Amino acid sequence: MAETRSCDAELTAAFPSIVQRDTTQREFSHFLVSKDLLPAITRYLHTRQGLHGRLTLLWAVDNRPARNTYGLHYLFTLEPSHRWVLLSTELAGDDRLFPSITPHIHAAQWYEREIRDMFGLIPQGHPDLRRLVRHEHWPKGTHPLKKDFPWDHILGRQHGEHRFRRIEGEGVFEVPVGPIHAGIIEPGHFRFSVAGEPIMQLELHHFWTHRGVEKLFEQQPLAAAVPLAERISGDTTIGHSLAYCQAVESLLHLEIPRRGRYLRSLFLELERLHNHLGDVGAICNDTAYALPHAHCSRMKEQMMQLNDRLTGSRFLRSVNRVGGVALDLTAAQLVEIVAELDRIEQDFSELESIIAHNASLIDRLETTGVLTERTAWDHAVVGVVGRASGLDQDLRRDRPFAAYDELPVKVVNYRYGDVRARMRVRMDEIHESMRLIREIRLKVPQGPVAVESSRKAQAGEWALSAVEGWRGEILYMVMAGENGTIQRCKVRDPSFVNWPAIQWAVIGNIIPDFPLINKSFNLSYAGNDL
Amino acid sequence: MFRILKKSLKTGVVTGRHPRATQPSEPLTPEVLKKAAAFNRSLTIREVDTGSCNACEMEMNALTNPVYDVERFGIHIAASPRHADALVVTGPVTVNMERALKDVHKQTPDPKLVIALGDCAINCGAFKGSYAVTGPVDRHIPVDVRIPGCPPRPADILKALTDIQKRPLPA
Repeated sequence: MAETRSCDAELTAAFPSIVQRDTTQREFSHFLVSKDLLPAITRYLHTRQGLHGRLTLLWAVDNRPARNTYGLHYLFTLEPSHRWVLLSTELAGDDRLFPSITPHIHAAQWYEREIRDMFGLIPQGHPDLRRLVRHEHWPKGTHPLKKDFPWDHILGRQHGEHRFRRIEGEGVFEVPVGPIHAGIIEPGHFRFSVAGEPIMQLELHHFWTHRGVEKLFEQQPLAAAVPLAERISGDTTIGHSLAYCQAVESLLHLEIPRRGRYLRSLFLELERLHNHLGDVGAICNDTAYALPHAHCSRMKEQMMQLNDRLTGSRFLRSVNRVGGVALDLTAAQLVEIVAELDRIEQDFSELESIIAHNASLIDRLETTGVLTERTAWDHAVVGVVGRASGLDQDLRRDRPFAAYDELPVKVVNYRYGDVRARMRVRMDEIHESMRLIREIRLKVPQGPVAVESSRKAQAGEWALSAVEGWRGEILYMVMAGENGTIQRCKVRDPSFVNWPAIQWAVIGNIIPDFPLINKSFNLSYAGNDL
Repeated sequence: MFRILKKSLKTGVVTGRHPRATQPSEPLTPEVLKKAAAFNRSLTIREVDTGSCNACEMEMNALTNPVYDVERFGIHIAASPRHADALVVTGPVTVNMERALKDVHKQTPDPKLVIALGDCAINCGAFKGSYAVTGPVDRHIPVDVRIPGCPPRPADILKALTDIQKRPLPA
């Protein structure tokens, strides 16, 4: 706490005009800042030795009709202490301009373009003001998250074409890929500029699966929006529903029973396992080494059948609910989980040694798609990708949620940032998740798994929540509206911050290696596009 | 080499080790069966995601794993719509994907089947009514087969796909 106070004191000393909000109830410091001061103060937080603030979330809120203002909120994680610092500013009346912080904090790039698209607020000084979420055929002036935009509005169509950044010169070609890909994967467009084989530039053009999720949340009651959160990114059902539930629970001041928290950790690790198992195989498959893929997809299938037997859903749907978990596991089921994991761990270890002894595979993975620690830090990369590039961060350890305050997690970390490092992070995390599940079985206390809520959230109250899903940090900001509705729900899947980083990881690699690099990131399109 | 052989021998045959299909699949119309007869009990599929959450894609991918091994029924996944007999479409059709769906449908040679996979493709599911969603698949292209579920289990998808391969009853 002393460290926290010193950070706060340092900030108020450096910028005397900022106002600190009382946040004794919350787990972060909160400052009100005038918008002109934003670039200076964010730069100070980001670059100052000892503060080292990483932009974690940036969101806007339309406060109408209660107040005629837009709120802008910048959340930073101070790296040494993992403490959160929130900066808030307001645009009053007809003011639609705010200063861009992208010129010195790269990580803000997509957030600011997203805010421009969704709210019509313009980040002044942003180096790239092309549309992001709204494709060019959306009519001018369409800003879906403004309160006066009806959620079921039928969009018109205008003529427009996306302008890609062009490299011109002798022998430079453009290779367009997508939105519909050759495999069974989600839609996204990649535009490569190549001279010969090596990639000179990759530009992403995403948001094809934009379904208006954040607007749909605003049509739902607080307690009933869990199924929507589960369907944001199908492979991260538990991660998203847990982050949503936690945010609502802190609005309702609910204390989750210990057994409920342990089961949440258990299900989160089960989700991590089936996804990581699938990814290890898929990375091998993209080097045309089909054998590990066959074994891994078999093990993944075993995990998903286990999920089905335990919960009635292969994706662990309808497990989380506001107040805890919707189902309890018997002692026999816990034994069944551990027995199945023992078999799979033995199975997987044998496969690991087959993979490690294949020199041509390792040759293909090493030094491919390197994301340096510096680039990863600049883009505030999170999760598996960050841990493979030397960023030592894991919310399960740094900001414990569910039962992780009682379950110490050994955080995996590799420095090289290549495809192999990303695969090894996954392999090690598979063993760590299995160890955690065994520990959960031994430690899980008896008792209820959920509580009912009696309190109603007041309009305008809001809460933040963060969960380390299998891809990385999932963040939710939920603001309550009148009569138990949702005024605003900001969702951030880890893919949203990791996608821009892939553009830097592929430079200098050859196009045939792109599927491999992309697979080693394995980012969600649906979670990114919302 | 011995390590790999040993692993394969130890693992054995896993194909078919999955729970049976539970969900009764929709009866196929004679027209659909007649159209499918042209494919001679083989089916080459192009999968198109028009806004799904990725769960349906994962279950389609699961069909190709050794447990379901869809290839043993003559069902293949093609990399291009031009090689496909059937389109499997997942997800509500988003505003941004509408044009791509129509294009891919046009690129698929006739005769072709369109299979709407999952609740979103059939009725937009949780995303119904949103400004960014234009409607279910059959608002844009004619749908022949519907496989409900959120997401449908691989066994159910497999059952529905192999039903298509059945010969139509002689008139």
